[in-house]
Amino acid sequence: MNTDLVKAHLNLNAVLVNLEDLVVYDEEMAALSKGWNLSIQFIVRNGPSAYIQFENGTCTVRRGRRKKASIILYFLSPSHLVRMFDGKAQPVLLKGFTKLGFLMKDFPKLTARLEHYLKPTPELLADKNYLAVNTRFTITTAAFAIGELGLVDPVAKMISSHIRNGVTLMKVKPEGPSAMLKFQDGKIEAAKGDFEKPMSAMLFRNLKVANDILNQKLDAFTAIATGDLMPRGQIGMIDSLSLLLDRIPLYLG
Amino acid sequence: MKTYTYKKSVALFKRAAKVIPCGIYGHLSPAPLVPATDYPFYASRAKGSRFWDVDGNEFIDYMCAYGPMVLGYNHPKVDAAAQKQLKSGNCITSPAPIMVELAEYLVDLISIADWAFFAKNGGDVTSYAIMTARAATGRKKIVLVHGGYHGVAPWAQAPGHPGVLDEDQSTFLRVEWNDFEGLERLVNAHPGQIAGFMATPYHHPTFSDSVMPATGYWSKVEALCRKNGIVLIIDDVRCGFRLDMRGSNEYFGFKPDLACYCKAIANGYPISALVGTEALKTAAARVFYTGSYWFSAVPMAASLAALKELRRIDGPALMLSRGKKLLDGLVDIARSYGYTLRVSGAPSMPSVYITDDESLMLHQDWCSECTKRGVFFTSHHNWFVSTAHTDADIKKTWNVADEAFRVVRKKYGA
Repeated sequence: MNTDLVKAHLNLNAVLVNLEDLVVYDEEMAALSKGWNLSIQFIVRNGPSAYIQFENGTCTVRRGRRKKASIILYFLSPSHLVRMFDGKAQPVLLKGFTKLGFLMKDFPKLTARLEHYLKPTPELLADKNYLAVNTRFTITTAAFAIGELGLVDPVAKMISSHIRNGVTLMKVKPEGPSAMLKFQDGKIEAAKGDFEKPMSAMLFRNLKVANDILNQKLDAFTAIATGDLMPRGQIGMIDSLSLLLDRIPLYLG
Repeated sequence: MKTYTYKKSVALFKRAAKVIPCGIYGHLSPAPLVPATDYPFYASRAKGSRFWDVDGNEFIDYMCAYGPMVLGYNHPKVDAAAQKQLKSGNCITSPAPIMVELAEYLVDLISIADWAFFAKNGGDVTSYAIMTARAATGRKKIVLVHGGYHGVAPWAQAPGHPGVLDEDQSTFLRVEWNDFEGLERLVNAHPGQIAGFMATPYHHPTFSDSVMPATGYWSKVEALCRKNGIVLIIDDVRCGFRLDMRGSNEYFGFKPDLACYCKAIANGYPISALVGTEALKTAAARVFYTGSYWFSAVPMAASLAALKELRRIDGPALMLSRGKKLLDGLVDIARSYGYTLRVSGAPSMPSVYITDDESLMLHQDWCSECTKRGVFFTSHHNWFVSTAHTDADIKKTWNVADEAFRVVRKKYGA
């Protein structure tokens, strides 16, 4: 198995997707990106592709390719992309030479802010707002990472091949954040948001509990007994979801 | 009806969580109880078909310690035999004579048994069965049924579980239950490589319905194994002595080479057994396999007494008929509220689900509402019926189930 390929999928399609909410929940980033109207295409040779679209103050991140991207960043291999995410390599700029200023100055502010939210410390988590954003991003990353693992991680593929069809919801009670996974014939599709009648649900009592469980600081078995974590519905799906969640730290440190 | 609360259970669990990984681990973990907060976590005592939790709540127990309780908790004959043996000795430098008596009894009782080997848990003997099959055939591969449960050794867990390596699975092949053609394809694809095929007498996976063997399935499997020199291993740990005293294979009409027993074998005393045919005795003898407490005499005395009592009263027939009575009543009560209660598996260890809500949330609520009123029902594991469950227990169960259906109908509608 190509570990860098899995990492590339997760970084591109599970981490970057949080930019969508970053420009919503962080006022500074909302102000920064307000006037941006452009798209960035990521292409990885023998690997995944994704694009980011900024338009009218919103950000959209999608898998695959889009026509007429403003900027095209090319990576020679999944490993090249992984090194870029680690700050140890630069992409090959195929298109967008007139946007160099944006790429060198503005966009890095956004990604640095994303990194800030995705690398919590106990001190940062003590801040209520930080906890809320970090937990939102953690749930989103977990859901989309599972979707990617279902494509490229052999063990995850095997696990998902036996999950019954239906939607599994991960939600912090009572109002979210939440994300869902749609399992259909062994395939997994991740999405943000709530779902009224899921086939199964993993409900967290509050943000702190969700944060601790998803960051493996609190074991789920104990949390279930104390009522901090409430699995509902088809428990076999939750059981499998738990195994899939366990695979994320193998690739995203 | 008054519903239960579990203040002392919760307090004890919080203490436990500080010093025991996940508080209560394994199959007694509250995790599969949904919602866990509606269930007791700790028992203070038990008698007959009932147990009392640390908060003093009384339950008619349809989990029977997840199978071991078969004659009722604290059965006088079984406990007396255990006490008598304890006075003579338990874990001693040399085995006690009771070991030979028990082996002779099993050889007499179980149809395929020419010998018996004792350990502690079901997983001990499923692993030993695999080693024996490999020793006998000189082959590596073992075929299992997907979703079948054979314990918690790394080979028995599905890939992806923490602590399980991909390599642990490298000599195991899996086939779907009742898929004889699939098994045949596997055998043909791995000629001369498969040491054994292990399965439960019927399929009783967690989280879903039980499935009986299709007509002719076992006879075809038996013939295929014979033809290809594959050791046929029956994991009778859960079904054993709840379907047929001679082994559950007799209930379904086939002859395995090895059979694994635990749970009901000693009414709660810790012992398991692998029994096998004469042809495999030498191979079994060549496998070095042991444990510190595998020769403890007290569980052996308890096992002998339990098996004799089960045979005397025809325990399996009693449990099958009482289970059927219980389930027929529950199905009727469900119907009166507009719900369908689907029962699968043997009535002595039925899998039960309300099918009107595919997500099973309604079913989970019904089971927990029953539990809070003194009838311990889990929502994602087969239940167990014992010979100690009385008509009065069944009647009370119906009353509780009725009220629980009323509660869930109010919440979900018909």
